[in-house]
Amino acid sequence: MKRSGKEWIFGILLLICSLCMSAGVKLVFHACGPKEDGSFMTCHWAEQAVFTLGCVMAAVSVLILIMPDSGMRRGLALAMIPAGAGAALIPNTMIKLCMMTDMHCHAVMKPAVIIIGAVSAVLGLIYAAVCKSERSA
Amino acid sequence: MKSLAMKNLSGRPVRTAVLVILAALLTFTALGGTLTVASLGKGLDSLEARLGADVMVVPKEATMKKKFEDIVLQGSTGYFYMDSSRAEEVMECEGVGEVSPQFFLASTGSSCCSIPVQIIGFDPATDFTVSPWIKRTYGGELGLYDIVAGSDLNAFVGDKLSFYGVECTVAAKLEKTGTSYDTTVFTNEQTIKALIQSSLDKGMNDFKDIDPARSVSCLMINAADGTSPEELVNDINIHVKKVKAYRSGDMINGIAGSLGGVSQMIKLLIAAVWVLGIVILLLAFTMSVNERKKEFAVLRVMGASRSKLAGLVLKEALMTCLIGSAAGAVIGLLILIPFNGVIEQTLSLPFLLPEAGSIAGITAAAVVLSVLTGAAAAAVSAWRVSRIDTGVILRGDN
Repeated sequence: MKRSGKEWIFGILLLICSLCMSAGVKLVFHACGPKEDGSFMTCHWAEQAVFTLGCVMAAVSVLILIMPDSGMRRGLALAMIPAGAGAALIPNTMIKLCMMTDMHCHAVMKPAVIIIGAVSAVLGLIYAAVCKSERSA
Repeated sequence: MKSLAMKNLSGRPVRTAVLVILAALLTFTALGGTLTVASLGKGLDSLEARLGADVMVVPKEATMKKKFEDIVLQGSTGYFYMDSSRAEEVMECEGVGEVSPQFFLASTGSSCCSIPVQIIGFDPATDFTVSPWIKRTYGGELGLYDIVAGSDLNAFVGDKLSFYGVECTVAAKLEKTGTSYDTTVFTNEQTIKALIQSSLDKGMNDFKDIDPARSVSCLMINAADGTSPEELVNDINIHVKKVKAYRSGDMINGIAGSLGGVSQMIKLLIAAVWVLGIVILLLAFTMSVNERKKEFAVLRVMGASRSKLAGLVLKEALMTCLIGSAAGAVIGLLILIPFNGVIEQTLSLPFLLPEAGSIAGITAAAVVLSVLTGAAAAAVSAWRVSRIDTGVILRGDN
């Protein structure tokens, strides 16, 4: 079945969000740097976890864009909901960040990951709803 | 008519998108600017309250330190000490009311982080500056090795934090103050003396010729009734050697000046964006009505009254402005609330977001103001639409 313009738009938005998550957490809203002795603080491992989840989300988004079957696309879009929510929960909830909340991991990484994770989850939900309505139409 | 307004908007997506973006920009600017100015004002109020004493007395050599004001006001880590005999001399000065000593100590990077933490010790028996803040969240007495963590420290009640090898328990966590208190650890006199001793044992601190057991970092003083803080400051500075007294108000004058400058700049920016936005909205609605004159003339011929045509233009404007304003408000809140820490660091000024109720009020006001501005800009075009001469337009003479 041919997909609608709305599906393309939300699919591309999902891919953009996923890429923002995976690339952004390494390049823009990264965790704090290493200590003077070269060892990492706990926020580094939160960054690694978010990066991994971001890559998985990007792969799923690509699959959503290339999968011909609308049922599969819908299933993949639904999978973005727990993935986005999970990514949002990683900084400080699942993996503790640094001691001071004015440090980079708290001030920049945490809010950015929460916002992008939440937006990805909402977009996944919208995509699944759009996909369902197109199917039933 | 309602569906016609919707169809008109969706039929011209580019024009609608431009108007929505413009309305979003107006709301974003009004909301962002107002919230930032309000947060800076609240931060300064909090800083004034946080100093909590009329006069602060520190050792004279501390004032030579480049970071002195940062240590006292901005929460930068550092320490300075004076012999308690000088403190006793200060206490004997005329006009001294309440007095309480404080002890500063900077931790080394703790196990989790490379960033040191400022530790302030106070005497619970005499303190009148820190205790009021602590009492808001903790009613009990601080025991030996009990600490109170500032709100920006990622430590919670019951957590153990180690400083200079001494394990301390977090007994309470302070509310957000928007000042250096947020990244500071507070403890009582006995605990800080134990920490200072441990730092000396580990060779991580140097008191030179001062006996750590008989040292204080600063004295917080309230002037006695009938004595003004200025008189007290002058008296201490004249009669007690090797100390420097400051009036709390004077210490934050520099910050208040910077804050006033930033606030002024933000207000100018808001005004500029709004003037530009209103002009663009007026132009956009006027051009839109001009190019749709024939459409309105046809509607008149089909039986739509003049007021209905004006209502259609207003409805379209209200719908675009409402959507744009809501989007602008959401984006503004998503930037300002989660990233307030980054804004605070960038401005390097006390920054304390208002309460949720105030934020909701400012948001609602920004949305209403933006929608009303859009409606007012469209009202001119609506009035012109209601006065079009159908015959002239359909004949193509206009």
